[in-house]
Amino acid sequence: MIVYGFLNSVILALMALGFSITFGISRVANFAHGGFYILGGILTWFFLQKVGFSYPFAAFFAVLIVGIIGALMYRVLLIRLRGLELSEVIATFAVGIVILELLRSMGFMGYEYRLPVFIDGSVDVFGTYVGLQRIIIVGAGFILLVALHLFVHHTKTGRAFRGVAQEDHTALSVGINPDKISLLSLFSGSMICAFSAVVILPLGTISIDDGYDVLIKALAVCIIGGLESSTGAIVASFIIGYIEVITAMYISSSLTMVVTLATMLTILLVKPSGLFGKSKEIEERV
Amino acid sequence: MKKFLLFTVVGIVSVFSLLASVHIAGAQRKEDPIVIGVPSSLKLLESAEGYKAIVLAAEEINAKGGVKVGSVHRPLKIEAIDTRDGEPGVPIADAILAIEKLFLEKKPHAVVLGPFRSEVLLAAMDIYAQYKMPSINVAMTPKFVEKYSQNPEKYKYCFRMMDAKYVVGYLTKVMEKINKDFGFTKVYIVVQDVLWSTSIGTGMQGWFQKNKWEVLGYDKYPTGASDFSTTMIKAKQSGAQVILPIFDMSTSGILVQQWGDMKVPALMAGFISPLMGSKAWSTFGDKIEGVINVVFQAGNIPLKKYPPSAKFYKTYTKRWGEQQSGHMPSQCYDSVYALVGAIERAGSLDPDKLVKEIEKTDMVGSIGRIKFQDHQFIFGDDPKTSAIAVVYQWKKGGKRVPVYPESVAEDKITKPSWMK
Repeated sequence: MIVYGFLNSVILALMALGFSITFGISRVANFAHGGFYILGGILTWFFLQKVGFSYPFAAFFAVLIVGIIGALMYRVLLIRLRGLELSEVIATFAVGIVILELLRSMGFMGYEYRLPVFIDGSVDVFGTYVGLQRIIIVGAGFILLVALHLFVHHTKTGRAFRGVAQEDHTALSVGINPDKISLLSLFSGSMICAFSAVVILPLGTISIDDGYDVLIKALAVCIIGGLESSTGAIVASFIIGYIEVITAMYISSSLTMVVTLATMLTILLVKPSGLFGKSKEIEERV
Repeated sequence: MKKFLLFTVVGIVSVFSLLASVHIAGAQRKEDPIVIGVPSSLKLLESAEGYKAIVLAAEEINAKGGVKVGSVHRPLKIEAIDTRDGEPGVPIADAILAIEKLFLEKKPHAVVLGPFRSEVLLAAMDIYAQYKMPSINVAMTPKFVEKYSQNPEKYKYCFRMMDAKYVVGYLTKVMEKINKDFGFTKVYIVVQDVLWSTSIGTGMQGWFQKNKWEVLGYDKYPTGASDFSTTMIKAKQSGAQVILPIFDMSTSGILVQQWGDMKVPALMAGFISPLMGSKAWSTFGDKIEGVINVVFQAGNIPLKKYPPSAKFYKTYTKRWGEQQSGHMPSQCYDSVYALVGAIERAGSLDPDKLVKEIEKTDMVGSIGRIKFQDHQFIFGDDPKTSAIAVVYQWKKGGKRVPVYPESVAEDKITKPSWMK
């Protein structure tokens, strides 16, 4: 239970990280997240199976293309809606639905749409057999976190990310263009989303409907952790990950989503901005 | 003289025009197509493949000259509409509206395949009755026969291919076989939390308890769940000898992967859609070796002991350039032939006459002998006397080997390598 709770948590964290980073920097709640996730998987499958690229190249191009689509979404659509939060949500949600339903209508249905596991087999972890792909997911999650930390703390663009995340008007006064940074945040958030699809989807098949589930899970994680906090998203992933496993183990596997959402509501009652969020408190102070 | 010539030419042209128009009208009447409506959730793999099988049957029939209605041969024409009822969040009312749209715009003479979701079929039965639309459907709810039996006169236009109760019947036979071969009596049930699969799971639970099996757990997973490790851990810790899964969601392939990855020492025997077709081996690889799966229709697997099934399997693969993945094609294919047989016997497209002839159907199909009882295909153990489902086991090299019913079985059930 401990092992699979951990694995489940890392998967959730990866699913939510792209959403959290985008919101944390640009304050855009990217409801196209589920669409980008599935698009990342489908593009990788396409490059791998139809174009004949090697796995790393297929994944690289898929991640890059999804990142570009995310940036374009900001440049073409969201930049005109800045400040209209509800319109941003509706617009991104519409983009997500268009992507998912377009893929569905293009015939991407069926069990053959599947990414192969990176390495086949299983290993014994503390007396429990675990598939190697899940171990790879943990490794990928760890590498991604380290890379993000280094990027945000040790590069000029990363520091600009933090500046805009803290206060975009002040950032502007010191020469940082918030629109450019927001565009980059959509680019990187979408790439992380597609990257998570590339490592997680080999566990099963690529199903269009999963795009909606991924969005709900990412939202639950980010709301519990605090929408603008990546640390919060990671902590929330572990809370939800273990709650899901404990619920499935001792209550009922059919109630995992119910218990997760109930937990989310309970945390929001106590901490309206989520565990690591500050927005509500700042608003009240102002 | 000029007037005479003019009258002669005009007269000849008029006569020929008249003859030509009569001939064309006759030809058009002769070739008025019989329209078969296919209102189903066509973006779902199962329905999409069912539709392909219907098209295949229609092409074969048209190539042989069409359907003889009285003294006229008429071609079949397929008109489909996507009801989207199998997609999440689509209301029943929307699917019903799509069905009515098809009826009003394309005016089909009969329906094959029908809605995917049980709830939609139950609602559509009233629409079929209202439009007097003979229909042969697929959705598996046991409530279909119940609703038909409540008012047979009203619902006489509704027929159905597969019933979930038959799946329970096949699975119980497999469990008896497993018990006989290995002495296993401990089972862990895991199902998708939707009506059809929970009803099968509950039915099986009752059967296990009556037959002195020990049910060590019964887990339900919501559609879309992607981690089944807790079930595998509980099954392993409780000493389950058999895991009975009932799923039709795409992520259920993960269940089998985790079973293999975690080396759970139990036979996996049940119903898992993603493992249904011959392509599953290339999709999931040798992780599925040893899994025992039930497929509703014999034509999904080329049975050596029942040639019509192998013939359909080859024809479908040749026509569409790919093998089947789901569990609907051969039933839908047979349903078109059952419908055409009824039309030819009735010599009419009158719905009431047609319904009476569909009831009398007795034909050899790709899934066995097709007969109806309570407007439902009769399933049994021998394709010579009834339709059959097939239970097969995935064996080394990606072979699906039939293990039940005995009439078509080609090998015995074997345990996965880590159980020995």
